[in-house]
Amino acid sequence: MKKRISVILMTAMLTAALAACSSGTGSGTSQSDAAASQADTAASVAADTSATAETTDAGETEQPAESELEGEITFWHSFTQGPRLENIQAAADAFMTDHPKVKINIETYSWGDFYTKWTTGLASGNVPDMSTARAGEVVEMINADAIIPLDDLIDSIGRDRFYESPIQEMTYTDGQCYAVPIYSHAYVMWYRKDLLEKYNLDVPKTWEEFNAAATAITEGENGEVYGCSVPMGTNDNYATSFLDVYVGSARESLLTQDRKPNLTSQTALDGIQFWVDMYHNNSPADSINFNTLDQATLYYQGKNAFDFNSGFHIGGVESNTPDLLDYIDCAPIPTPSGDGNPDYIVNNMPMVVWKNSEHPEICKAFIEYFYSPDRYIPFLHSVPVGMMPALKEITNDPAFLENDTIKKYQNAMETISNALSHGTYTAMEYGPCVEAGILANQRVIEGMFQDIVLNGTPVEDAAAAAEAQLLELFSAAE
Amino acid sequence: MPVKRKTISSLTSWLFVLPALLVVVLLMLYPVTSSIFYSFTNKNLIKADFRMIGLDNYKAILTDNTFWTAFLTNLKWTAASLLGQLLIGFSAALALNRIKKGSGIYRTLLIIPWAFPSIVLAFSWKWILNGVSGFLPNLLVKLGICDTTPQFLSSAALAFPTLVFLNIWFGAPLMMVNILSALQTVPQDQYESARMDGASPLQSFVHITFPHIRMVVGLLVVLRTIWVFNSFDIIYLITGGGPGSITKTVPIYAYDTGWGMRMLGKSSAVTVLLLLSLLFICSMYFKLLNRWEKENA
Repeated sequence: MKKRISVILMTAMLTAALAACSSGTGSGTSQSDAAASQADTAASVAADTSATAETTDAGETEQPAESELEGEITFWHSFTQGPRLENIQAAADAFMTDHPKVKINIETYSWGDFYTKWTTGLASGNVPDMSTARAGEVVEMINADAIIPLDDLIDSIGRDRFYESPIQEMTYTDGQCYAVPIYSHAYVMWYRKDLLEKYNLDVPKTWEEFNAAATAITEGENGEVYGCSVPMGTNDNYATSFLDVYVGSARESLLTQDRKPNLTSQTALDGIQFWVDMYHNNSPADSINFNTLDQATLYYQGKNAFDFNSGFHIGGVESNTPDLLDYIDCAPIPTPSGDGNPDYIVNNMPMVVWKNSEHPEICKAFIEYFYSPDRYIPFLHSVPVGMMPALKEITNDPAFLENDTIKKYQNAMETISNALSHGTYTAMEYGPCVEAGILANQRVIEGMFQDIVLNGTPVEDAAAAAEAQLLELFSAAE
Repeated sequence: MPVKRKTISSLTSWLFVLPALLVVVLLMLYPVTSSIFYSFTNKNLIKADFRMIGLDNYKAILTDNTFWTAFLTNLKWTAASLLGQLLIGFSAALALNRIKKGSGIYRTLLIIPWAFPSIVLAFSWKWILNGVSGFLPNLLVKLGICDTTPQFLSSAALAFPTLVFLNIWFGAPLMMVNILSALQTVPQDQYESARMDGASPLQSFVHITFPHIRMVVGLLVVLRTIWVFNSFDIIYLITGGGPGSITKTVPIYAYDTGWGMRMLGKSSAVTVLLLLSLLFICSMYFKLLNRWEKENA
């Protein structure tokens, strides 16, 4: 009898297990059907929007339409630092209070983890409803058919309110815009005013002056401060940024117009040689393995005289060595001749809505909600000078300007604002393309620098090998 | 009737085992078969469509110098780590076996690295060995042992030995604990008899200790070979395979290919080759273990 019971129990357990399996399969099927239902969802969103418009035209409040929002979404973002994290969470909490039937699950990943997470999650459908992204990744996401166009959202917020270049950068060849910029920043040259003064140096305007200044400081400080650390770690793309800074200063690109890698042009070769020499003469040997954080920390701690980064450096110095806050400032990137505006590296950080989302209407409503000044300005203030507004009117909004750090670093604000209007994301000078993302994210250039430094490979050979490797990657992505 | 009862009993046993069996088989079967399948395709990590390309991935890998460099590094990494772990683990176990008081404290202290996640260990070591502000390089300079801060993680000469040292530091305690347990099972009367017969300590070790513990040591070596050969986290977190490709082992090469360059098909082929290499090495070990088992029997 006992055995019979156990057989029955086992059969029941197995049936339950199989049912669970089949329900999993079912969910897989429904995920594969998600694409098909996407059109329906989009249509219903469009219908909702027009219904809202009609109601508004009729003179009624928007509240009834908004209160209809119902569902659960997952939001991945990469704002790992405290104040930004808290601001996003506060915005989500407030949105959920206004829309009690909505639940926003926030998951935070560092930029590096985020890239791995979405690329691996794509195959299994394990992607969020909405997320932040890096500008170079948006094209890859479009290419992978992973995100949806957001023109309706941009129009709803007000297309004219956004700066033009970020919108252009996120507009693909099909003419649709797939991302909404939330803030921008640009790489400028950060320096130590006290060290320039100590060694009687002017702010360098050419690369020659830059080299001379970095060398003078390295020699004078005798290992206490490095002239300019050159990060070459293959677990980040900082060496690519440094090379892009040099090439951009000559108003050239790391990609040709027909989207081929451009590492063997004379300017690129000069740039590679310049940074290799800088590494040997003015950089800690350890920087061959440096990632963004290692490099930034060196500047935060006052051990690096020059660095190329965004206004985030102010917050980093404030946290690590507040005594240095009066001695840091930034200037335009040096150029070969000292004249003209270089092409800067500009990061327009976007938010995207994923195709797998069952509630794009909630994602869009939340993004729109986020841009209200009482949410958006505190968010920007969480890293003052680091995050520049994506909306034009906020730039001159007294509430935005009324911030001690922004007031103190007025020169940095102006320098970065100017840079924002003269640049693109790495290798996107000829428009957004998958190749730019690959070039920026595949660490081929970092490998090239390490090859030159460690193996003594001639610059020309290493550059040609890196070009060949990039070409292979480009063709694999076609 | 007894036959029927036996059949039901057998069926019940199988039914109880089946869920666990299904989970294990599916969890092992899926990744292995999918890796083998994708290794014959041009599957890209973020693209849905792919096609069969036969042995192209294998040809590309086997003609890639970087792969062979990584493979050689992998062999050196495994051999050096294993040898170091075994020597230190064995020596520590023999020493602790002779200590009557406080051996538990030593054992606990030595096993501490295993209480921490590898990311904590990796970042701690990265911080300790940092060539600019790291504690150890600066201490060496302050003590006058070095003129300039040694670049443990970025020098072409030091990066690999440093990683091997860290792996030995991490792996030796596990060897020690297991070998110590095995040592404590050796009958003490055999030592006493040997001593009465005038056997030297070395003879006692060779003829009594080693035959008793060699199966445990052998199995430990097999397990550690698999773990060390496949180890990824500690290398990736500390050096990322760099500088250059100096610390790039096959698992890092596979990761870079699949997740860095997104060539999942090629990366799968690397993992299949890795699996075959491990199977070959382990089959050698098991051959030896079987021989020892027969000798013991």
